[in-house]
Amino acid sequence: MIQAPPPPPPAFEAPAPERSVDTVQDLRVAAALTNAQVQVDSRFRGASIVLYGAVFNPTDDPTDVVVVVRGPDEPVRLVKKTRNLGVWLNSRPVLFEGAPGFYMTASTRPLSDIAGFGQLRRLGVGVDHLRIDAPEESRTVTRYGVRDVVISRLGEDYLDWRRAVIRLREAAALYNTDPDGVTFVDRGLFRAEVELPAIAPTGEYHAEVWLFRDGEPAGVSNLTLTVAKVGFERDVYEFAHRRPWTYGVLCVLLAAGIGYAASRVLGRR
Amino acid sequence: MEIYLPIAEISVNWPLLILLGAVVGFVSGLFGIGGGFLMAPVLVFMGIPPTVAVASQASHVVASSTSGVIRYSGQGGVDFRMGGVMALGGALGAIGGVELFRYLRLLGQADLVVSVSYLVFLGAIGLLMLYESLTTILRRVRGEIAPRTERRRPLWLYGLPWKMRFPKSGLYISAIPPLGLGVFAGILSAIMGVGGGFILVPAMLYALRMKASVVVGTSLFQIIITTAITTVLQAGRNQTVDVVLSTLLLLGGVVGAQLGVRYAGRFKADVLRAALGLIVLLVGIQMGLELFVRPSDIFLIAPGVADG
Repeated sequence: MIQAPPPPPPAFEAPAPERSVDTVQDLRVAAALTNAQVQVDSRFRGASIVLYGAVFNPTDDPTDVVVVVRGPDEPVRLVKKTRNLGVWLNSRPVLFEGAPGFYMTASTRPLSDIAGFGQLRRLGVGVDHLRIDAPEESRTVTRYGVRDVVISRLGEDYLDWRRAVIRLREAAALYNTDPDGVTFVDRGLFRAEVELPAIAPTGEYHAEVWLFRDGEPAGVSNLTLTVAKVGFERDVYEFAHRRPWTYGVLCVLLAAGIGYAASRVLGRR
Repeated sequence: MEIYLPIAEISVNWPLLILLGAVVGFVSGLFGIGGGFLMAPVLVFMGIPPTVAVASQASHVVASSTSGVIRYSGQGGVDFRMGGVMALGGALGAIGGVELFRYLRLLGQADLVVSVSYLVFLGAIGLLMLYESLTTILRRVRGEIAPRTERRRPLWLYGLPWKMRFPKSGLYISAIPPLGLGVFAGILSAIMGVGGGFILVPAMLYALRMKASVVVGTSLFQIIITTAITTVLQAGRNQTVDVVLSTLLLLGGVVGAQLGVRYAGRFKADVLRAALGLIVLLVGIQMGLELFVRPSDIFLIAPGVADG
């Protein structure tokens, strides 16, 4: 039996009229990325992605837009250098169970002007309010024979360690706060730039576009962004991780081969 | 001119890497050493993670040593029997060294051990070389005749079991000292990413008293085997070998090495040794300095369990 072909897609997405009629009083935000798939290849030197969006604001109340982009969570291990007898030595590593590998906020105004401390903390918006996983009790875990201290979020030095993670990541351009990174190009139409450094981790990124009015979140739009190695780079990386021993043997053979070839070609005199 | 390194996960200027390979290759050809100890500090300075730098440059050492061994074996300057015994020790040392390095990395102490090793070994060897070559130069300038060197080998070399005959080196000694030297070079190769030639050559000359004509070739032969094993182990166990990085380095390296060999004939041997001693000493001090200088940030990200 031959099924009837599905109806052709509409030429353009008409704005859903019943919704805008029903919710004409509602504030809404919509956003999109110019490029939702960042490809890491041999010419990768970081990427700049434009996030653009629109605020549907039926009233004249001023609103603020905050863009938050979070990279994949990964455990972070830190050591602290301490001076013993004039020599700087590393302490035992301290482990955070998970911190975003990339984190940036861009907003229309400084975050502290947009919303209160509690609100930002609750939403996890801003590097100061970033969720870095830490259990309530400090404990040690032993992995591969090494004892790590898992930092407790109630410990007295927790804040120092936390600030250090943020400071080190900011220095590497992995964490970023831009208090005027969101610019309105026209009434209701805004854009923001996401700058990924070359060392940005690969994986799935989540972008949240928050709309604030009077310090209260009035809407949010969620986007995803994928950073992946492609082509030769991905092949090499995957090969090195899936068949590490074969990869190592090939590296050595390549090196020995080039050495042999060079002595044959250049050394003939 | 930038290229993204798939394992190191950063972009670097590739002509600069080829140039670095060429300069280190030139020095290596000039002095007859692997040159790994010069390369690691520069790579780290360029922002490449130390663990990737150490593991990837080992294959640069493989390439430059291969072309060296081919040259020396043509002149009958390689004692494969002695080299084989040392390489056996080197393999054991490399296996132990890679495991040790892995453990130290997890402990967050890898930087410390690398710095201390550079400071102690390079500092000591550099000082010795500088002292020995400067006295030779002074004697030559004053026109004195060098005192007869002690030709007797230390007695304990004969008291050990497992005696083997090494006709090419002109030795009949226990296999334990060369084996032990190999183990030591293997551990250094894993921790410092160097071939260990700068330690092996003096030890073979002054402790084992091998025939001088086979010393460099034999040490290069054992270095190939040890660093090849180190590279495979680092790749297999730690996934820290970046083939793009090492290929760029060794493309420059093999050309530089051949040039270095050609230029080596133009200088006097003791002047070369003095220059090398000075370079070795400076690199050692530079690497060791960070133990004493107040760091710019007292917190440091340690390599995680996830990345190896």
